[in-house]
Amino acid sequence: MNEAITSLRSAPARVPSRAGAGLKAVHYQTIIDEQPDIGWFEIHPENYMGKGGAPLRYLERIRSDYPISMHSVGTSLGSHLPLDRTHLNELKQLVDRFQPGLVSEHLSWSHGYEWYTNDLIPLLYTKESLNLVVEHIEQVQETLQRKILIENPSSYLQFKQSDIPEQEFLAEAVKRSGAGLLLDVNNVYVSCKNHNWDIEEYLSPITREMVGEIHLAGHAIQSLGDQELLIDDHGSPVCTAVWELYRHCIDRLGEVPTLIERDSNIPSFAELQKEVQFAEHYLRANQEVDRVTTR
Amino acid sequence: MSPLAELQQAFCDALISPKAPSESLLKELVDDGLALQRFNVYRNNFIVLNGDALADMYPVIKRLIGEEAFRVLASAYVRQHPPQERALLLYGDQFPGFLESIPELSELPYLADVARIEYAWTESYHTQDQDNLSEKQVSEIATDKLGECQLLPHPSLHCISSAFPIYAIWQTNQSDDSTESISLDQGESHVIVLRPAIDVEVREVSRGAYHFLKQLQSGNSIDQAYETANELDDTFDPGRFLTKHLFDGTFYQITPSS
Repeated sequence: MNEAITSLRSAPARVPSRAGAGLKAVHYQTIIDEQPDIGWFEIHPENYMGKGGAPLRYLERIRSDYPISMHSVGTSLGSHLPLDRTHLNELKQLVDRFQPGLVSEHLSWSHGYEWYTNDLIPLLYTKESLNLVVEHIEQVQETLQRKILIENPSSYLQFKQSDIPEQEFLAEAVKRSGAGLLLDVNNVYVSCKNHNWDIEEYLSPITREMVGEIHLAGHAIQSLGDQELLIDDHGSPVCTAVWELYRHCIDRLGEVPTLIERDSNIPSFAELQKEVQFAEHYLRANQEVDRVTTR
Repeated sequence: MSPLAELQQAFCDALISPKAPSESLLKELVDDGLALQRFNVYRNNFIVLNGDALADMYPVIKRLIGEEAFRVLASAYVRQHPPQERALLLYGDQFPGFLESIPELSELPYLADVARIEYAWTESYHTQDQDNLSEKQVSEIATDKLGECQLLPHPSLHCISSAFPIYAIWQTNQSDDSTESISLDQGESHVIVLRPAIDVEVREVSRGAYHFLKQLQSGNSIDQAYETANELDDTFDPGRFLTKHLFDGTFYQITPSS
């Protein structure tokens, strides 16, 4: 195992254009024992920011068998406050140690004061915050010495002061900072439904070149009077409408590494793997079509 | 202050407050008649997500006071002590002291000390990895100099003592189906939490062993540690203790006195 780790250190393992799964502590042992045929795993680096112990050991072991991706939840790119250097350095150490194929973060913020919300709060979409987000993405990329991907958020409210549509803000932030896009298809669906946005219009500025990864997850439905609000809780299987939107997205964007995210009501690994295989099925079907059309 | 900073601070003020958000914040939100409900999703998430982190760290406390009471306490805790770090691994470090400050919990005087075991468990779980003391390290020291040496406990070691039988309470509540009741008349309890390799161990130790380890942890020599331990518990036998625990991961280093 140690030998494998040493060789990994020299180069990140590319995340393949296959389907992957979010890595959950309850699944560590099953993955090690059964070595499932899964393209890659994704982790939240913040869960591995302890000094030692089981999480890091398991990750080292699993990383020696699979490519991984790091999906950060803590940099707070959209906060008016400066980035936290300590957190960034910890992220850098993990990236150096585990050599993920992809590193990503959300278009959101999580601290307005010195404390953290531990939740992803939507941004004000103005020129001021666009400049700030671009500057923060550049700082992260400079520290990590690599390109990162920015994820489109799910949201439940909008600010009146926002004067740039979210998708344009996102596309512009990505272009100006040289970052890529992590397209969360469930978030597109949730936000468009919650705000009555047009899905096609949302997707229109998003190009094949931008997108480095796709996320899929389940959401919950909360009734508010006679309306419904979709809550992005990652607590259930991907719904049919999101699968359809996913097919539509890969038709447009080609084969993109696709993650099944699950953060609550975590099922058995076998069950999670079924969803991963489902996504992979769509990706392969898309490859077939590509081959036929190029012929 | 910039409009962005102002808005983010107003948003945080409203997230953390148990009161309804201010009119000035609500005016900033696109209003379809549901602006308040939409905002409340975030406020609820803030309390629930951080409360869940606390519940993960304190399963025994949750079991002792019940799910509902735990939720109420967790909400109050999250508002008083919002996360200070971006990684939530050690979120909840102030919870034992917080439990002590709640007058309604004074009938459960052991609660805070049981919480201290649970916090120590998580801290120990994430401590840096450290090789255990080897026989070779000890063999390099002349036998007649051993007493003057510093014998350092593993960095993951935490010592917790209580006037109440907290080990028995913690142990009995490791599973949801245990119905055994613990009499508080059992009296004081000394507990160590330790992670020699990958698994965290929680052990009950004698009063003497507890003080012996605490003394060693603070850097005192074996002789000095024994002296203090013996004053507090004259039944403590360091020879027997060390025969059993010298190489089981309780310690990681021995150094001659300087």
